[in-house]
Amino acid sequence: MSSKETHKPAVQTTGHAWDGDLQEFNNPLPRWWLWAFYATVVFAVIYWVIYPAWPLGRDYTKGLFNTITYETSDGRQVETHWNTRARFLREMQAARAKQEQILQRLAGVPYQEIAADRELSAFAYSMAKVLFADNCAACHQSGGAGVAGLYPNLADDAWLWGGTYAEIEQTIRNGRRGFMPSFARALDEQQLDDVATFVLSLSGFEVDPEAARRGGAIFNGQAGGCYYCHTHEGTGMTSQGAANLTDAVWTVARVQATAGVEANKEAVKAVIRKGIQREMPAWAGRLDDTEIRILTFYVHQLGGGQ
Amino acid sequence: MAVATAGAAEQYNYDIVRKFTVMAVVWGVLGMLVGVYIASELAWPALNLDIPYITFGRLRPVHTTLVIFGFGGSALFATSYYVVQRTCQTRLYGDGLAEFTFWGWQIAIGAAAVSYMLGYTQAREYAEMVWPIDILIAVTWVIYFYIYVQTLRRRSQPHIYVANWFFIAFILATALLHIFNNMEVPVSLFSLKSYSLHAGVQDAMTQWWYGHNAVGFFLTAAFLGMMYYFVPKQAGRPVYSYRLSIIHFWALIFLYMWVGAHHLHWTALPDWTSTLAATFSILLLMPSWGGMINGIMTLSGAWDKLRTDPVIRFLIVALSFYGMSTFEGPLLSLKSVNALSHYTDWTVGHVHMGALGWVAMISFGSLYHLVPRLWNTTLYSLRLVYLHFWLATIGIVLYISAMWGAGIIQGLMLRAFDEYGNLAYTFIESVAFLHKPYVVRAAGGALFVTGIIVMAYNIFMTVRKARREEAELEARLAAKMARAAAS
Repeated sequence: MSSKETHKPAVQTTGHAWDGDLQEFNNPLPRWWLWAFYATVVFAVIYWVIYPAWPLGRDYTKGLFNTITYETSDGRQVETHWNTRARFLREMQAARAKQEQILQRLAGVPYQEIAADRELSAFAYSMAKVLFADNCAACHQSGGAGVAGLYPNLADDAWLWGGTYAEIEQTIRNGRRGFMPSFARALDEQQLDDVATFVLSLSGFEVDPEAARRGGAIFNGQAGGCYYCHTHEGTGMTSQGAANLTDAVWTVARVQATAGVEANKEAVKAVIRKGIQREMPAWAGRLDDTEIRILTFYVHQLGGGQ
Repeated sequence: MAVATAGAAEQYNYDIVRKFTVMAVVWGVLGMLVGVYIASELAWPALNLDIPYITFGRLRPVHTTLVIFGFGGSALFATSYYVVQRTCQTRLYGDGLAEFTFWGWQIAIGAAAVSYMLGYTQAREYAEMVWPIDILIAVTWVIYFYIYVQTLRRRSQPHIYVANWFFIAFILATALLHIFNNMEVPVSLFSLKSYSLHAGVQDAMTQWWYGHNAVGFFLTAAFLGMMYYFVPKQAGRPVYSYRLSIIHFWALIFLYMWVGAHHLHWTALPDWTSTLAATFSILLLMPSWGGMINGIMTLSGAWDKLRTDPVIRFLIVALSFYGMSTFEGPLLSLKSVNALSHYTDWTVGHVHMGALGWVAMISFGSLYHLVPRLWNTTLYSLRLVYLHFWLATIGIVLYISAMWGAGIIQGLMLRAFDEYGNLAYTFIESVAFLHKPYVVRAAGGALFVTGIIVMAYNIFMTVRKARREEAELEARLAAKMARAAAS
């Protein structure tokens, strides 16, 4: 075999052969390989000197020249050797410090002033965009358009629980529990039909006036009692989260202007029959006060707040 | 020729090697098909068809188990059983025991895949098997070790060939890893659920000690063993450097055991553990490259074979990808790089550079070398080997470049701030961005899978050809005998 290696006469095989022709040259370690390996050793040793590295019984080497200073939440200055937790706290602190001034201004001024101040409102939009997408958009969708029948649309100007800054903030902070009782047992099929007809008439659908009149009597009388929450005029009551039935905005029943009266009546009937039970969770505790304020501002401007 | 085959069949246990070879191809095709399917699910989520058994979460471990343990494992059983016999010039110890390792391994893989789809998992990455399967694997593996050591002891060669060092290190380390990572207490004898014996951060540490050494010993050391036999054999050249093989072998197996914690940077793990893992990963770079140098330099003086021999191409391209992924690995293990790359698709790209580029390519090359020798014939088609080579190579390049782009941009998006110091992107925006790279990745995977299907066809036709040749030979022999008897 070695006779074939005339161009490399210096290199010998180890003299062993396996499985007929398996042999090994005994080339030296490539120089560059060896030096590169030494270089990685040097790198590792330097790393060990600077960072926490080797365990020593119950303790470990802390590393040199790597002090990190940060402030705890109760204002204490802590000085420690490099560690990931301290580094995280310091970075969060530095980021907070940069925003501190503007955040304080945001926390202190009335909402109207945020809207009027270009710098404040630009900051609020920048922060709210991600806050909304990460926390709210799962239900209310990325533009706040909601899902018909499930999650209210925040981008229109109809507000179930009120559209003032204070009301929106209240909604976000404490959550809401939308409730309408089921009328499946209280009303028979004919009565359900009549009430649904009446409800459609409130938002301008052309319906059988006689049925609407009967429905109105149930709506505003003891049999239905719908007016307790929706009022005699059907304009709803934000304190109860009761919808305004006269504004042609439908959040639960899938009523469509293009659909026929019969189809729409079935949709409204279904809601009266089953009632409503839905909930928006409370965000206090999950989001801090400033975040809730910023979201309030954002949601208010999304749908023409009041 | 027939006499020679009969002689080889007696001298060596080829039957077990053939069985594992066939199963390597079967699991390879299935596992990679599952891989392409789940890659497509990520691009088009509707593909889970609302069927729980085929959702991403359940099929993902099916994919990893079938390709790593089914395809990779069976290829390793086949080649290690072949190599140890050829280089020791002795028959494999214990025919019955070897048969047991075959059935034990195949049943474990099949049972694992079915149990994941039914929702049974112990939720440890690459060790998802529930405890009864763990026990089956442990028994199979200990027997594998016993067979291997006994065969080495019966060798008729004074020296143990380097490939066998790597195989024995792989078998020993895998036994250790598997057993210690799966120490668990079943909820009851009739429940598939169990509790890990380790707790909290120690549990995570043990899992990634296992996880990374599954890469180090199963997917690296073992396949280096494969490389050390099939590269010099196929090239017909001596291994480049015996010295280098010794140094990089010991350095590799010593250093690998330390680095698992680099999967847990910036977590609750103690910082010193993290540092040691990062630095030992850097130290591991050159020992890893030792194997690549030894493989590639073996070809020096015979570079022309790259032009004429598609099998050599598989082997050399595998070594190149091995070099790239063992460079990228230490890079990703540095804490600051990891802060960007971790939890992104960069990791997925890195794994597949190693898994497709190194593990699968070196296995393909080795199987193409092995199959004609096992069935005593020549390959059905070399052109199909070329086709497979190009499908696989283009597939890998598409895959990893898509994942680089996806991972790096995803990492940058998640840490981007706007001029006010607020997050610039929402999480969902990073998900939406990933759609296009995911489509490219699925396309790359589809090419790779097409390649292995071409290989399966080529091997099937080769075995059929071998059967036909044998029948013809016997017919001719019978005719000759008949003529002799008649005259």
